[in-house]
Amino acid sequence: MKRLGLLLLITSVSASAQEITHPTRMNLPASEFSRPDPTDYQLVLENGLVAYIAEAHQVPLVTLSAFIAAGAVSDEKQGSAETLAEALRRGPTGDDAGEFQKTLNYMTAEFSVSMHDEWTEVTLNVPLEDLDAALPLFAKIIRGPAIDNDALERAKLKAAPGGKDLSGESGPALYEGSLAAAVDRFHEVLFKDHPYGVGPTVRDFDDLEVSDVRKFHATRFVPANMTLAIAGDIDAEDIQSAIVDLFDDMRFSDAPARVLAPDIGHSPLTQHTFPAEKLQSWLVFGHELPVTPLEDQAALEVMNYILAGGHLYTRMTVETRYRYGYTNDASGFLEDRWFGPGTYTFRSYSRHDVIRNIYENMVEEIDRIRANEVTDEELFVAKGALTDGSFQIRYLDGYTIARNFAMERLRFGDHSRSATYVDRVRAVSADDVLEAAKKYLHPDRMQVVLVGKEIDLLD
Amino acid sequence: MQRIRIAVVGIIFLGIISVNLANAAEFELPIKEHVFDNGLRLLVIERPGESRVVSKIFTDMGALNETPGQYGAAHFLEHLMFKGTPTLGSRDWQREEELHEQIQIAEDALEEERNRARNDIRERGVFHDYQHASTTPRIEELQGLIDSLNQQVLELNDEGPMKRWYQAYGGTRLTATTEQEYMKFDLDLPADRVELFLRVEADRMENSVFRNFDAERMILVEQRLGDLNRPDTEYREAMNSLVGRASMVYVPEGYANDFNQYTRRYERELYETYFVPNNTTLIFIGGVTLEDMIPKVDKYFGHMERRPEPARYQGREPLPSAEKQLTWRSSTMSPRVEIRYQIPGVGHPDRPVFDVLAEALQPHLQAVLAANDVAGTISVNTRVVHTERFGVPASINFEVLVSDPSSLDAAEGAVLTELKRLASTPLAEADVALARKKLRTEWYRTAADPNALAFQIGHFEVMDSWQTLQPYLEAREQASGEDIARLVDSYFVAKNRSVGVVTPEGASE
Repeated sequence: MKRLGLLLLITSVSASAQEITHPTRMNLPASEFSRPDPTDYQLVLENGLVAYIAEAHQVPLVTLSAFIAAGAVSDEKQGSAETLAEALRRGPTGDDAGEFQKTLNYMTAEFSVSMHDEWTEVTLNVPLEDLDAALPLFAKIIRGPAIDNDALERAKLKAAPGGKDLSGESGPALYEGSLAAAVDRFHEVLFKDHPYGVGPTVRDFDDLEVSDVRKFHATRFVPANMTLAIAGDIDAEDIQSAIVDLFDDMRFSDAPARVLAPDIGHSPLTQHTFPAEKLQSWLVFGHELPVTPLEDQAALEVMNYILAGGHLYTRMTVETRYRYGYTNDASGFLEDRWFGPGTYTFRSYSRHDVIRNIYENMVEEIDRIRANEVTDEELFVAKGALTDGSFQIRYLDGYTIARNFAMERLRFGDHSRSATYVDRVRAVSADDVLEAAKKYLHPDRMQVVLVGKEIDLLD
Repeated sequence: MQRIRIAVVGIIFLGIISVNLANAAEFELPIKEHVFDNGLRLLVIERPGESRVVSKIFTDMGALNETPGQYGAAHFLEHLMFKGTPTLGSRDWQREEELHEQIQIAEDALEEERNRARNDIRERGVFHDYQHASTTPRIEELQGLIDSLNQQVLELNDEGPMKRWYQAYGGTRLTATTEQEYMKFDLDLPADRVELFLRVEADRMENSVFRNFDAERMILVEQRLGDLNRPDTEYREAMNSLVGRASMVYVPEGYANDFNQYTRRYERELYETYFVPNNTTLIFIGGVTLEDMIPKVDKYFGHMERRPEPARYQGREPLPSAEKQLTWRSSTMSPRVEIRYQIPGVGHPDRPVFDVLAEALQPHLQAVLAANDVAGTISVNTRVVHTERFGVPASINFEVLVSDPSSLDAAEGAVLTELKRLASTPLAEADVALARKKLRTEWYRTAADPNALAFQIGHFEVMDSWQTLQPYLEAREQASGEDIARLVDSYFVAKNRSVGVVTPEGASE
């Protein structure tokens, strides 16, 4: 009886009836996807403002987004950007703050302001029934946020020690031991004394005037320095008319000059440990990523995908998770910036006793991809994943189409990158990947951040 | 002979449920269904012209089907089912199969030895000086043998065999989830390559090989450590076990001891019992049609035979008999008082009204707290373990976080007094209408994402029936202040109440 159980246990393949052709021999069709034409969605106002309008009729919702090429490091006077973000969150000038919140509540709206280092996003999502009220409200927020002393005070409070928004209950205790904390510590280490690493202090706000923030808004929130994305259960022509009505009288002015941030000086391989009393340790290591020229972008992406690009089948995942069960995740992140150095980091976490094994195995994989060409199968998988997977889903529906075109236009000024992306990725060779690994991976200048138990990883 | 039944849910329920026709259109789900002879259910929402298709396979099993001592085994099975099959991931299946047989024999011997060594009854309840014999020389020897055999298997394997080919052919959102009541595997891929999903999932469902079992076990330990790093995890688990006594819904994804107890034999038993066609639902939303999908699904799943209906979870909570209270001391959690009442699950007519109740009461009770000078924030939710809005029979939770621990009594009193009042004084209809609108908009946001929509369809299918989903949404639109008052009166009674109080460590014990 038990023996019978064992046979069943091993496998119950009934191969005679089952279709088990290997995926590579299934004759799956070649991709026929072609990126949508941005001009089909584009509205260019006389003042230079570009909007992307896309219909998506599955549900009666509308999303209104504005992307502005101005962020936390764009302000000439420290604290201006953070104060402007607070003003945008507070709503339009002239409207009572409480009334603005009530309006959003009655609309059942989702409203968010995300200020990154180099750009800002303002998004309002509402049911279609509220669109008539939401569109002018959205325009008022963008064009005239409530920049006042209250906004300044709120921004100042957040700049105070302990003022970081650790949202959610038990936030500080949760943050203390987390990947987010390790990433933050890494950025602090890498961008120490660099404009990207210097946030405003309370004293900066003491020196800041409302007029400074208004000036920042007036010079940055201009048609040539922003794009709009509107998508949802709309009639595109109606929205075009509304956008003209609401934004066409914005005064034309040139976009502010985009100044490249300085490079980061190279430091030798160093470990930085931040003790935390937790059951796990978190590891983030890497170095700066220079502004990547277009000709290198595809090979760099393919290389990273094979090495560590996401919580999937990658060399680092195989050598930490699949083979050894060390960690739930070991991934690589290319985070480029628009106007200055970004970061290339590798991240993982685990119980304390194997964190060193994880680090060593990840470093071994970095060395291996810098020394030898990747296989044809690895190239095949990575190219397919990037062209037929992640690239396609950027244009999945009206929401993603409008958003991605608006972002691309704001950052690069045109759509040539997305137009050539698939061809560029498909042209990447094993030699290109090897060259990218040698050029963009530098084991000798990794900064290794460990949050958790104090363990020497480098001896 | 195939049994073909195409049903558009909006048509089925006309005349059965009292529906506001204006609202019916807002929630219309053009789901087409086909049930194969072997019981496999196929659900499709056709979106002509879309280049991709969201694909999911749901199995009606989860943590509810585990046995004590093996908590988390269903979730572990999900991990094991990524390890490939004889035709995906092996370079020499004949040799590998022999090794798996040897591993199984060794594991059986290991279990026998473990059973001989167990002394849990004697040691149960001893937490200060635990003397359990965790190992013996024979156990060590057998574990060494399994490790050695596993190393040989690894030499014959290609890791990540399923994800690799999904990625290569443009698959995204490659995820899997196991909760109390379901396990699912997800993929979004180009619509003209949907056969890849069928080929891999049919193989996974029938021929999974549990490779590298012990290393994968440690991934669950990692995930559990991650949970335990959250200051509130143990508190929430204690609250869950306070609320319910019999239902597995109140049990977490494994205690420390459980992770070491999983065996290949037990996992295989779960797999063979539940991963059968008559316990499985395939869902597709995107650029495919039901007509096209029927022969494709038949090609890969049609040979599978209908199996005995898997046993359903039979635990039932005893009737509530007394108010229960938990006092929890913590230096890292915000002080709070949490009041929970057991409520029914999806399929019961009261369940959709509870959604409206929760949405309406949140701002209402927030205002009540302010009027009582309690500085705090209230959350009204139906979360149990991971599940939020919908879910298996669980509880509704009124959770007040206060800034001053001395106001905990006032917070509890304010909420309980107001709940009592609401049993006889319905909420203003304007407040209820706003709550309905919030839920409506929330649903639109869900339905706008085909991945989220497919999940809800599958989730309802395993909880009750996919055909319950649209009436559920419509029933929320019908909920009134009077309905809410009726629920308050019926369910929010003392003997159905569990109260958790979190106070700072050092508070009087």
